[in-house]
Amino acid sequence: MTTFGYQLKLVRRATLPSWKAAVFSILAVLFGLVLFSSVFLQAHVDPIAAYKEIFSYAFVNTYGLRLTISRFIFLALVTYAFIIPFRAGLWNIGMSGQLYVGALAAFGVAYAFGGRDSSTIQLPAGLVIPLMMIAAAAGGGLVGGIAGFLKGRWNVNEIVSTMMLNFIAFYLTSKMIKEGGVFMNPGGRGESFELPASIRAPTIMDVPTTIFLVLVLVIFLQFLFAKTSLGYKIRAFGHNPMAAHYAGIDTGKLSVLVFVMGGAFAGLAAYHYFGAVPGVFKIPRNYGYFGDLAFYGIICGLISMGNPLAALPVAFFFGGLSIGGRFAQGKLHLGFGVDYALLGVLMITLVMFQFFYRYQMMWMKKEE
Amino acid sequence: MWPFIARSLEAATIFTFAGLGELIDQRSGILNVGIEGTMLFGATFAFIVTKTTGNYVLGFAVGLLIGALLGLLHGFFSITLGVDQVVSGMGIWIFGFGATTYIGNPYTGPLGMKRLPLILGLSPFFYLGVLLVVVTWFVLAKTSIGLRVRSVGENPSVAEVSGINVTVIRYGCVTLGGMLAGFSGAVYALYYNPVWNYNFLMGWGFISLALVFFSMWNSYILYAGALLFGLLWQLSLNPQFILPGLMSRYVWRMVPFIVTIVVLVLISTDWFRMRWGATKPEALGQPYHRED
Repeated sequence: MTTFGYQLKLVRRATLPSWKAAVFSILAVLFGLVLFSSVFLQAHVDPIAAYKEIFSYAFVNTYGLRLTISRFIFLALVTYAFIIPFRAGLWNIGMSGQLYVGALAAFGVAYAFGGRDSSTIQLPAGLVIPLMMIAAAAGGGLVGGIAGFLKGRWNVNEIVSTMMLNFIAFYLTSKMIKEGGVFMNPGGRGESFELPASIRAPTIMDVPTTIFLVLVLVIFLQFLFAKTSLGYKIRAFGHNPMAAHYAGIDTGKLSVLVFVMGGAFAGLAAYHYFGAVPGVFKIPRNYGYFGDLAFYGIICGLISMGNPLAALPVAFFFGGLSIGGRFAQGKLHLGFGVDYALLGVLMITLVMFQFFYRYQMMWMKKEE
Repeated sequence: MWPFIARSLEAATIFTFAGLGELIDQRSGILNVGIEGTMLFGATFAFIVTKTTGNYVLGFAVGLLIGALLGLLHGFFSITLGVDQVVSGMGIWIFGFGATTYIGNPYTGPLGMKRLPLILGLSPFFYLGVLLVVVTWFVLAKTSIGLRVRSVGENPSVAEVSGINVTVIRYGCVTLGGMLAGFSGAVYALYYNPVWNYNFLMGWGFISLALVFFSMWNSYILYAGALLFGLLWQLSLNPQFILPGLMSRYVWRMVPFIVTIVVLVLISTDWFRMRWGATKPEALGQPYHRED
């Protein structure tokens, strides 16, 4: 493009300071929200009023804030599930599948202790709760590990394999909770049995204690990437797999490891969702919904550019957005799926803004 | 038995259209992992238009159009803006999944129209699919346009030097690829299973993507894969054809997805990889920047 002897030139960025990346991320989200106003306008709703509803419910209203915090824990964990393989240059879009199997594993522990038969049964919480968490992490890690192994051993495209595992896990869950499955609700409602009250995760001021998982993980991950040789290997692999291979990094093992870790975090997210969120102590009939929520992990991971610390505010914001979106949908009589549409629009603006992460536009004097 | 086979062929047709679109994309060096999103968009808009106007032709036209637009969008991101192609494809998938959930929701339910007539006992799209497979093979393998497309996918700088406009070829291919994916979605929603429900495609786009990897970028092999998966899919819905009463129906529903993974593993073995490596478009997935 040439104007008055000046030429608009694209220059590839060598590095991008993190504050600039943060600015672009914020701009991308703002742009997405502005773009999304058109949906409100089309539904004859004042966008400013709609956003006011969304944000005041999500971040000010005490009940809404409680939901937001709970959703934040979930999203932070699924974001970590995405981030770890992402730092190694691999795409984990199998969070839903890892969640399903993690949830099944946790319910398996409750089932083994006889939790299915009555919801008032007294179980040793100090034993069962940690076991449930370990089982959830192991279940998720196993599913993740399959994709990682296939990638590491045979270079099977991880996008396809994780997506296929999502559907396999989806039908596995159906098998377990529907039509006489082992975990089916005794009432026969096509959903799982309810977790007994005695083994529900404790809450502190209505905040599930699973929030400590997130706090421990963020420290662990920061340390992992900044200080350990494993973190260095993951990053090296992400930058250039061939170079990492020649530098003697066992790339096969590495891809299993990052996917097991990612899957385990997704499993913990499942434990949080079904074991700790007040009101959802079973796998409900429309369990597909929380699998879809896991895709917010992709957005949060991309916006935070794989940085575990940055992922926290991002997950908090998106948690609020999804909670507030659902609320506004009901309050303003919008059609079903406003929160999904918001997810989609934000994703596509984010892709658009990837351009600014990579390139810099400069006006240069045209050389003749 | 015949209705079962006819139905399998209908399912195969949908994989074929989407897979051919992706194959054309990839031949020009562009990877589009978001065909599921494009298919959802094509299907949803085709469904809405046909349901409101009662006109099939309009519906299919809209499916083609919306697919072309999303193909262009992917092209804009990955060719012009130089965004990572996987990021862009993922974006299109999530955009498609999110936006169609909201847009299509008021139209949830059956289409409520007479199905298009069969031709000689088979879906009309079956014949179109076969035709397109042959045409795609012919154009890519035997014509000068096909040679240009393939050379752009192999080595864009060399293609550019020999006077081929890489950008134009790639835009053309992603647009055509998007059209086919959108059309494939429209066939799903207007013919194969004319009931709208959110995110109803259940991974068909991703299976089509896997089929392209499997096909070694040859449209005949792609078609064989599509036939296999069409059959598998119908079998997973009606397992009583083979083994009545054995295993829960949910276990059967897993089978196509498990087979996809197995197939992907098989094509990654050394035997296959030697042949695969030779046919893979060399520049697949890499953005191309012209040096001015």
